[in-house]
Amino acid sequence: MTKDETKTPFILEIKGNSLDDGPGIRSVVFYKGCPLSCVWCHNPESKKTAAEISFDAKLCIDCGACRDVCPEQALGQDNRFYIDRSKCTLCYLCVESCPSGALDRVGKAMTVNDIIERILPDKPFFDTSGGGTTLSGGEPTLYMEFTSRLLQSLKQHDIHTLLETCGFFDLNRFMDMLYPYLDTIYFDIKIIDSIAHKKYCGRPNEKILDNFSLISEKAKKDNKLLLPRIPLIPNITDTEANIRGIAAFLKGLNITEASLLAYNPLWHEKSDKIGVEDPYKKSKVMTSFPDSAISEKCRAIFAKAGITETNS
Amino acid sequence: MQATAQKVSKSYTNTLANLFFKFFAFNFNTRPSLRKYLKGDDGWLNFTFGIKTESGSVEQALRFENGKVIVLKNMPSQTDAQLIFADENAVKEAATKPPNRLMLALMENRIVMHGNLGYLQLINFYLSLLLKHIHIAKLKKETKMENRNYNAGAASKKSIDSKKLRQIRAGSVDPGVRYLPEPYLSEYSLNDFPRLRDFLDIHLKTRPAICHERAEILTGWYRENGFETDKNGRPVIAELRQAQAFKFLMENRKPIIRKNDLIAGTNTTKEIGVIIYPDAHGTMIWGELLTAPYRPLNPYDVTPETVDVLHNKVFPFWLHRNFRQWVRDNKDYPLCQKLDERFAACFLWKTVALSHTILNYPEILKLGTKGIIAKIDREWGETPESEKQKLDTLRALKISLEGINAYAKKLSVEATRLAKQETDPDRKNELIHLADICRRVPENPCVTLDEAVNAMWIIWVGVHMENTNAGFSLGRLDQWLQPYFLADMEKIAGEEEKRKYIKHAVELIGCFYMRCTDHLPLIPDIGNYLFGGSSSDQAITLGGVTPDGEDAVNDMTYIFLKVTEMLSIRDPNVNARYNRERNSETYLKRLCEVNLNTTATPSIHNDEAVMASLAEFNYPAQHLRDWSATGCVEPTLSGRHIGHTNCMMFNMVAALEMALNNGWHPLMRWNLGPRTGDIESGDFQDYESFFNAFAAQLRFLADQTCEYNNLLGEAHQAIRPTPFISALIEGPIKSGRDVTKGGALYNSSGTACIGLADITDSLMAINKFVFEEKRVSFKELRNAVNTNFKNDPALLALIKNKAQLFGSGDHEALATANRVAKLAHDCFGEHTNYRGGKYTAGFWSMSNHVAFGTLTGALPSGRLAGKAFTPGLTPEAHASKSILDNIRDVARLDPKNLNNNIAFNVKVVPGAHETHQRIVENIYSYVKTYSDLGGMQMQLNVVSSKTLRDAMEHPENYQNLLVRISGYNAYFVTLNRDMQMELIERAEFGI
Repeated sequence: MTKDETKTPFILEIKGNSLDDGPGIRSVVFYKGCPLSCVWCHNPESKKTAAEISFDAKLCIDCGACRDVCPEQALGQDNRFYIDRSKCTLCYLCVESCPSGALDRVGKAMTVNDIIERILPDKPFFDTSGGGTTLSGGEPTLYMEFTSRLLQSLKQHDIHTLLETCGFFDLNRFMDMLYPYLDTIYFDIKIIDSIAHKKYCGRPNEKILDNFSLISEKAKKDNKLLLPRIPLIPNITDTEANIRGIAAFLKGLNITEASLLAYNPLWHEKSDKIGVEDPYKKSKVMTSFPDSAISEKCRAIFAKAGITETNS
Repeated sequence: MQATAQKVSKSYTNTLANLFFKFFAFNFNTRPSLRKYLKGDDGWLNFTFGIKTESGSVEQALRFENGKVIVLKNMPSQTDAQLIFADENAVKEAATKPPNRLMLALMENRIVMHGNLGYLQLINFYLSLLLKHIHIAKLKKETKMENRNYNAGAASKKSIDSKKLRQIRAGSVDPGVRYLPEPYLSEYSLNDFPRLRDFLDIHLKTRPAICHERAEILTGWYRENGFETDKNGRPVIAELRQAQAFKFLMENRKPIIRKNDLIAGTNTTKEIGVIIYPDAHGTMIWGELLTAPYRPLNPYDVTPETVDVLHNKVFPFWLHRNFRQWVRDNKDYPLCQKLDERFAACFLWKTVALSHTILNYPEILKLGTKGIIAKIDREWGETPESEKQKLDTLRALKISLEGINAYAKKLSVEATRLAKQETDPDRKNELIHLADICRRVPENPCVTLDEAVNAMWIIWVGVHMENTNAGFSLGRLDQWLQPYFLADMEKIAGEEEKRKYIKHAVELIGCFYMRCTDHLPLIPDIGNYLFGGSSSDQAITLGGVTPDGEDAVNDMTYIFLKVTEMLSIRDPNVNARYNRERNSETYLKRLCEVNLNTTATPSIHNDEAVMASLAEFNYPAQHLRDWSATGCVEPTLSGRHIGHTNCMMFNMVAALEMALNNGWHPLMRWNLGPRTGDIESGDFQDYESFFNAFAAQLRFLADQTCEYNNLLGEAHQAIRPTPFISALIEGPIKSGRDVTKGGALYNSSGTACIGLADITDSLMAINKFVFEEKRVSFKELRNAVNTNFKNDPALLALIKNKAQLFGSGDHEALATANRVAKLAHDCFGEHTNYRGGKYTAGFWSMSNHVAFGTLTGALPSGRLAGKAFTPGLTPEAHASKSILDNIRDVARLDPKNLNNNIAFNVKVVPGAHETHQRIVENIYSYVKTYSDLGGMQMQLNVVSSKTLRDAMEHPENYQNLLVRISGYNAYFVTLNRDMQMELIERAEFGI
């Protein structure tokens, strides 16, 4: 038994009616936990694999019910993020008592069946729209065995499957356990320079690029869609050098389609909820919508390399 | 509400009221300019009017007698009209507010009215004569505060210019499409039709005016010839009276052909006219005649001549000859009538009209009135003289058809006259052509599309001259006009000529749509709060299957859709049938695209679900397949069915409030319903016992409203039988009975049951938090509800956050919604109407989910006092973040309980970067899946809250912003603030 076969992921959310995570109408399963730690991560709550607790100050009506039940006295308006996480034992009594939903569990243990049961009612919509299910996160490949079972079950129900991945995984296990059950793979290529990758994403990128290269060969043979996606993060990934580098890398693999993801600054409030200081809170460039001229420039570089933009 | 009998000491307000009454009397007695209004052409208007407070602290009365106004010391035991004020503040408010506000106070139950509503309106008129400068200044200020005064001409132009159409092309050609090379007609836009552009501009910028023509001519005839008895004092046969008066009206009204129009005839003498029906609710505008031009919402122009005609010649004649008053006078002012006049539990449309039906147009077009008269004559010949009622009815039918022929002939003469004057050769030819058409039809069978459309229109004018313009519907026009389109096309050789003709057909249908905007129903200001922004709701139905069950989509279907898209107007109200078995993907995609491009129309119906909902009536399949939407969404079997599908708007939530209060209704302050259990005394040990209490209250209210509807039906039989309509519906010729008397082949009465989602969520909250989890006692919950959750924010948060909601995918909530729908269906289904038909239950709400919401306290669902209910049966906005949960739950409601259709409103907002194609595909996926799952009806608003908010701030930029309310379309800028907010607060889903 390998390490992760006993592991069950925490699921952050199953989002129905997604129109932005692949073709048609889709349900997206968000996993908790990721091997990378990108500084711009839009879902900061998906970084850690462990369960967490969140507090949304906007929902709180300050009724005090949670403070009455907390055995550790870990709660109070004096705390920076309401919860003193050094005292909190994640007993969730406060969550149960909270009438407004301001306190919430981040991540829920779910079985494959639980997930399938939640997704199946939306299948008629997948069928009319050419949609399906997308696994996202976090990083679904952290849980190869679980994800494999989930994908097999989805395929048994004749549901189109799509994986959104950061590419940092064991290739052999991926090819054995996940690849056969995937219809489409969205693969993030963030930074072409490995040192910069390590700086901003926490790990070097050789494994990611190697995985991409090998999968792309196989996918071409199998006629499976592998779509590289490049998030355009201001001054980090959207620099001319980086985009040129990625374009050259893709061109070398005869890749003709890619997706450039515009930066969305609306993730900053999420950090507060899980009690993490947001390093970019005061950064103007990271908290505003990017200048479209820059993304146009990036597109032009790709176009020049013969890579067309595809909406993911 | 009943004032106590014992002596109550009078207050200072009473002294002020007395002084005011004296001031009023002094002015009317001494100033000739006022005194002249104390009479009409038939003589002095004699009546008494009184006011008092519920406590009796104020009590004053006035007597109007032979030109004198007398202030009475005490309220006489009999008054013609009296107002009972909730308290002294209500008296003070009434004294200072314009007359339209007085009606609002009645709606809000701050004041209760007793007696003849006509006299109250007369008093209002007198008050506005005396105080008009103050009233008008107040209304002007209000208009300004709400940003409602802007240049309508500029706004109209701007809105037309800024409308851009994006279009895909048809992926295939449906089998029934014979001549359109590209069914979506994507090559055309409004710019190709300057005539339609001009008409649209007129429609968007012209302020409607009250037209007294119909009321004046008819009243004159009745005065001359008698109403209850004839000149010789003999009792009158109502059908014959109506037919003769109708014929006289059609012979004597002005034949008008709008400049440049391809269709002759108008409903009124105004560019856009408001028709007055004094036998229905016409006198409701009496009190506002002087102020209507200044009201903030949907003002009307009223000429001094109109004021004079209506006050002197028309309204006094009808003070007792209207539906409401007939019931009051003849049925002893029953409880059910008092209930209706308190507004909070129901609104009976039968006080306004017996309408909402669809005539047998295919037969009229095919046979002409000549052919129908021949049928009448044949029946006459076979009827023995002993069947006097039948013979009288047949005579009435025939006379009314002669009336419509006379009108067509007058139009023909007018067209000839105009043609002679016309200098432009093209227009001259059009007028000569129109003169020919009107000489032939509707008397003779139609041959061409031009004839068929003109005949339809002339008949349509006749319908509105006979009966109130509220919800009469046009039916399956694509089916009924296609034969004439084909006949014309067959005669045309050459591709270019064919293309030209198709363009002409689009323009002609466009003219027909714009003709339909020439009239509006009379909406007294209170109506702006009850049914804001509504026009006549002249429903057109497209697509579906033929009576034989084949695919019905044809050339005309797509021509109508093109016109719908280009004009994007609120009325005709376009409904599309989608038959999963027979209709193509190409057709459904086009429906979705038109909905996207117009932002709100057509409303899409799942054919099979609608037909399944009517299974209990065992209609023959051929007739069932020929159903059309009526008014808003309701099914009528075209041409043979009086379903008065909107006979009432019914507030189901009133029953819930009464169940929570042991029969007492809080806003009406009335111990109205049966005693079903006292929460205070712990009468409810379990959820079922409470559900039973709710069911008992609902049954009580349904009994009351059906009783009143039946009494009003009798009033219609006495006051306004409709021989013209009877001649054009299958049944009366055979049965010899007018349609008001059950002469049609099929009969039913349709209700709109409002508040399904709010009730379901409330019942779920009671079950979960009180009985299952015992988080709160029933008493505590009830107290929180009664205090609008002011002292219970945690309880409110708990309910809002953790309740099981309809539309969230929760199975129990869905089961409860089905159970409540079944209860409503069964409560109404138990009743038989005055025409021998059954009552049906629908779950749509026009705009009454807003009005009833303002008249309802907080609910156990956490909905706060005064807030709107959800529209139709749409789930609560926070039920789910995923539109799919909404769609699935609504689709799983059992159609058997929804036999007067539903309105499911979904607000969707296209992403800024999505392509037009992808947005159409997404909408298609929702609608298709909804139909696959069994959903019945769906209507999308494609607009963001952000845009709607901007339109509130800057109405001048959004003159033509079309929105679906619940079943009908309206321009957002014409809506009252509560309705605008309700639209904004609806759930919004990105697409």
